[in-house]
Amino acid sequence: MNNNNSFELNLFESFKEGDETAFTYFYDKYFRRITAFSFQFIYDHDEAENLAQEALLYLWQNRETIESINGVQSFLYTYAKSKCLNMIRHNKVKDKFKSELLNQKERELDIEILNSVQFDTLELTELERLIQESISDLPPKTREVFIKKRFENKKNAEIAEEMQVTLKAVEAHMTKALKILKTKLSDYLFLIFILICNN
Amino acid sequence: MITKIIHKYLSNEASEQEVQTLFDWIDVSDENKKHFISLKKTWALTTLSEDILINSAPVISIQPKKKVYNFLKYAAVFLVLLGLGKLALNFNQKPKTASKEIVLEWSDGRSEMMSKTKKEILVLNQDRLLVAKKFPNQIIYFGKVQDEKVVYNTLKVPYGKRFKLTLSDGTVVNLNSGTTFRYPEQFGVNGKRNVYLIGEAFFEVAKDKEHPFIVNANQVDVEVLGTKFNISAYPENPSVNSTLVEGSIQMYEVANKQNLVLLQPNQMATWQKNSKKITTKEVDPSFYAAWTKGELAFKDTPFSTIAKIIQRTYDVEIINENSDLAKQNFTGTIKISDSSVENILELLKRDTPFNYAIKQNTITITNPSITK
Repeated sequence: MNNNNSFELNLFESFKEGDETAFTYFYDKYFRRITAFSFQFIYDHDEAENLAQEALLYLWQNRETIESINGVQSFLYTYAKSKCLNMIRHNKVKDKFKSELLNQKERELDIEILNSVQFDTLELTELERLIQESISDLPPKTREVFIKKRFENKKNAEIAEEMQVTLKAVEAHMTKALKILKTKLSDYLFLIFILICNN
Repeated sequence: MITKIIHKYLSNEASEQEVQTLFDWIDVSDENKKHFISLKKTWALTTLSEDILINSAPVISIQPKKKVYNFLKYAAVFLVLLGLGKLALNFNQKPKTASKEIVLEWSDGRSEMMSKTKKEILVLNQDRLLVAKKFPNQIIYFGKVQDEKVVYNTLKVPYGKRFKLTLSDGTVVNLNSGTTFRYPEQFGVNGKRNVYLIGEAFFEVAKDKEHPFIVNANQVDVEVLGTKFNISAYPENPSVNSTLVEGSIQMYEVANKQNLVLLQPNQMATWQKNSKKITTKEVDPSFYAAWTKGELAFKDTPFSTIAKIIQRTYDVEIINENSDLAKQNFTGTIKISDSSVENILELLKRDTPFNYAIKQNTITITNPSITK
């Protein structure tokens, strides 16, 4: 049934043995993910790409320490997280706003957010499944808007034109998408919250 | 509106002024801060799903047990509803723009609506030789040309319509709703037989070992020698699926021909647009070809997928606001010509209660009203 899994599993084995083609597969799969994730915290596309590249290189160098296929993603995100945190703490993130207060505030919030996510292997796999499921379950138009926005990085106006709807409708779909996703993921996010508070 | 600003902020479109407003709002209460943090977290974590799967099983299956429901049990209900023929919606009456017709674009740029074809019409070329015979719901091409003379026609089938054509080599192609298909008016005497597909089609390829038949679908090609198979490559889906009934085909990525699978009969290959990987699994191909017989077939199919199929088949828009329904899977077969959208919704409703409202061609599904 789960061909996806056995397919990746084979690749993972080859990857661990030093097969560069297999590595290319994981590179292609995760490069964009890690870039997009990091961009949310360092706000510079080139920097985010550098970071993703670094993370993947680090993965390649440490391939022998990765124990399971699920460990790949966990490894990469954990690296990205700590790298982002480092950059923020060492003021390596470029100022976004004129007001120093706003920059400061944003960094604090970002640090709090990053610290609250654990990229534990099992959790991450479960979360990935949950997110994929939640996105697939969005109403068709809402989903289309969300995907264009989130994964194709399109502007509202572009989306409105492509889908032949008003700007207002695009905004409404986005609100709806985030609301649904937040509700669906809230139990999970809440759990993380508790874990951190208890630590 | 703060929500709007948050969205702008998340997609990096907020002005400094707006960010100021947002951060002030965050400072007002812990509640606000928590709300913002969880939204940004959600947003950042959605990067985990760069490749979203709909048509294939999730990588890890820990699905809760889902009810499976069989429409067939309700065959009798179906007939009763049909008896109340007035209930059936006439979606043809809605005001619509031109694209609701099956359009054939000739190589010289002319285009015509197929529905304007009353009976059999012969199409001749400059040398008075037969190129094609047109019927209202079908077109058959004939003959071969020198390779340099190959020209392409395009057929556009809108939502709510289907169409059948026979290519000049004898290959029969059924086009599903919402499909654009580009093909040579007459194949060349040498070389490969190339056609281009956006949407879904069922192929019965005429055997011709010398001239491999290649379907270009999105960024993958499916190459055949002579065989029956279905390809689904709708642009709104994140994957291209090909299902083999008979013979053998291979599917590969255009940019990376090493990324290839060879399919056996009763297998389906799926190429994911985002991850670029191709996977295969065993399937019942008659299920994937059911639409060519005018049927919709579902097997443990999530409602989100069913909704999309209904949208294409009946040319309606479905907005689902009922999360229970979204999670539900259904099994069953529906004869398209015998059922209206309303019939189908009534059947689904028996399993998972919901309300729906129809306004022109938009159907909004909501949670059921509470009944005593």
